[in-house]
Amino acid sequence: MALATNFLGGVRSRLLPAYIPFRFFGAAVVFHLLAWLALLAGAPALPRFAGGLSWPLAALHLFTLGVLVMTAIGASLQLLPVATRQPLRTSRAPALVWWLYTPGVALLTLGMGLGRPMLLGPGAGAVLLALLLFALLLAQNLKGARGMLFVVAHVWAALAALAVTIASAAALVGNYLGLPLLDRGSALALHLPFAAYGFMGLLSLGLAYILVPMFALSPPPQVRPALASLGLACLALGLAAAAAFAGAAAALRIAAAGFGLAAVGLHLGLMRSAMRNGMRRQLGPSFVLVRIGWAALAASLVAAATAAWPLPWAGMPALFVLLLVGGWLLSFLFGMLQRILPFLASMHASGTGRRAPTPSALSAARPLALHLGCHLAALAALALAIVAESPALAAVAAGVGALGAGAFAMFFAILVRRTWART
Amino acid sequence: MNNGPRAPTSGQPWREGDAWHIDVRGRVPPEPLVAILRLLETVEAGVAVVVHHDRDPKMLYPELAERGWSAERIAGAPGEVRLRLRRDA
Repeated sequence: MALATNFLGGVRSRLLPAYIPFRFFGAAVVFHLLAWLALLAGAPALPRFAGGLSWPLAALHLFTLGVLVMTAIGASLQLLPVATRQPLRTSRAPALVWWLYTPGVALLTLGMGLGRPMLLGPGAGAVLLALLLFALLLAQNLKGARGMLFVVAHVWAALAALAVTIASAAALVGNYLGLPLLDRGSALALHLPFAAYGFMGLLSLGLAYILVPMFALSPPPQVRPALASLGLACLALGLAAAAAFAGAAAALRIAAAGFGLAAVGLHLGLMRSAMRNGMRRQLGPSFVLVRIGWAALAASLVAAATAAWPLPWAGMPALFVLLLVGGWLLSFLFGMLQRILPFLASMHASGTGRRAPTPSALSAARPLALHLGCHLAALAALALAIVAESPALAAVAAGVGALGAGAFAMFFAILVRRTWART
Repeated sequence: MNNGPRAPTSGQPWREGDAWHIDVRGRVPPEPLVAILRLLETVEAGVAVVVHHDRDPKMLYPELAERGWSAERIAGAPGEVRLRLRRDA
């Protein structure tokens, strides 16, 4: 693409330098592989995992903090200025977030896997500090935002959920360090819904309002249903918070799941409309993952309502977490990453004054196809392992997942090499 | 598409000289992207498109590259980002 150099200077100054978001994406790719390997190490305990310092807990947090939140930080720092129409004020602070967060996640998860509170404490400290700094950066960008106010509202709500997530995480780590701030049951009952549905969930829903119409080339979503969906989701989170402390926890959790389902229904209606009315009807294999993610989101809420009753089956917590983190968040995230990474790489490569590469020229279809197959096979095998209470099947699933993570890492390496060669 | 010159109306492209013009200022993302790409699908071969924007349309460039179009910044009104789009040779 022949863009005048002076113009490109202007374009580039409003973008974070490519190495900042791609540093987050690269770290997420590495943690993705480590997460499956940690799951392999924890396979014997996985089918009946219900918490406690162990390799399954380490794997869970390598997936959530290492992959999901790491990517969310990189993506939101890159994409949110599009919605708010104002650039980030600094590129140093995002770099500092990465330097605090990445070793923090490594230490924290190593402490979880090895059962060493001495590693857990400093790791958690670095992670919490990095997330606070990230929240501050986002809040600064959100203040005075112009346009796409429903996206901005989602991100504000996600930040509020992040505050609860951080406080409950600090309480959980405090318990392991002999500093009880809140009883473990209440802290856990806050941490799980506010981390997964609150922070990650609302951020995903908000960013989907930018990304899905952009990919489908459709008009922006209707504002009222989007805000109604957000309101219902916030109500659901409020009920989940009340369930952590109040009596009648089962009834509150069932009501929370019901409002959550209503919120998801509205959101998915808007997504369906965007995909139906867009100029681009064929959204490719990446949207297979996105659609599976959406289905798993709804299924996870049904599972959450079911789990509110004290069921005799001990596999329910592990199956619920699998649906929530693996089925929804990971599937959705990798579906989006498959499309957005070549797009962002092309966008950054266009700043050289030379002809920009097309996104498809930077992508690599075979590794992505292998990742897709392995991801789905690994999730299905994990579900079977939980149902059949089979550590051997869990180990096979983790091995297949690691193969898929390796394929995704190959895609990322090819993308970076091709982009580098053209800049 | 009408080839004759016409006064610009909100959101509608208009022909001026050797190019189609489209003003997407003030529109919510991804409306500008969609409107520009929709226009590119209809313009005659050899005809350029001039985009009147209120910001650098970062997300547009990869889509242009996929479709074999180029963008060049040209002089515009204060506060306006004006781009001339043409098909790659």
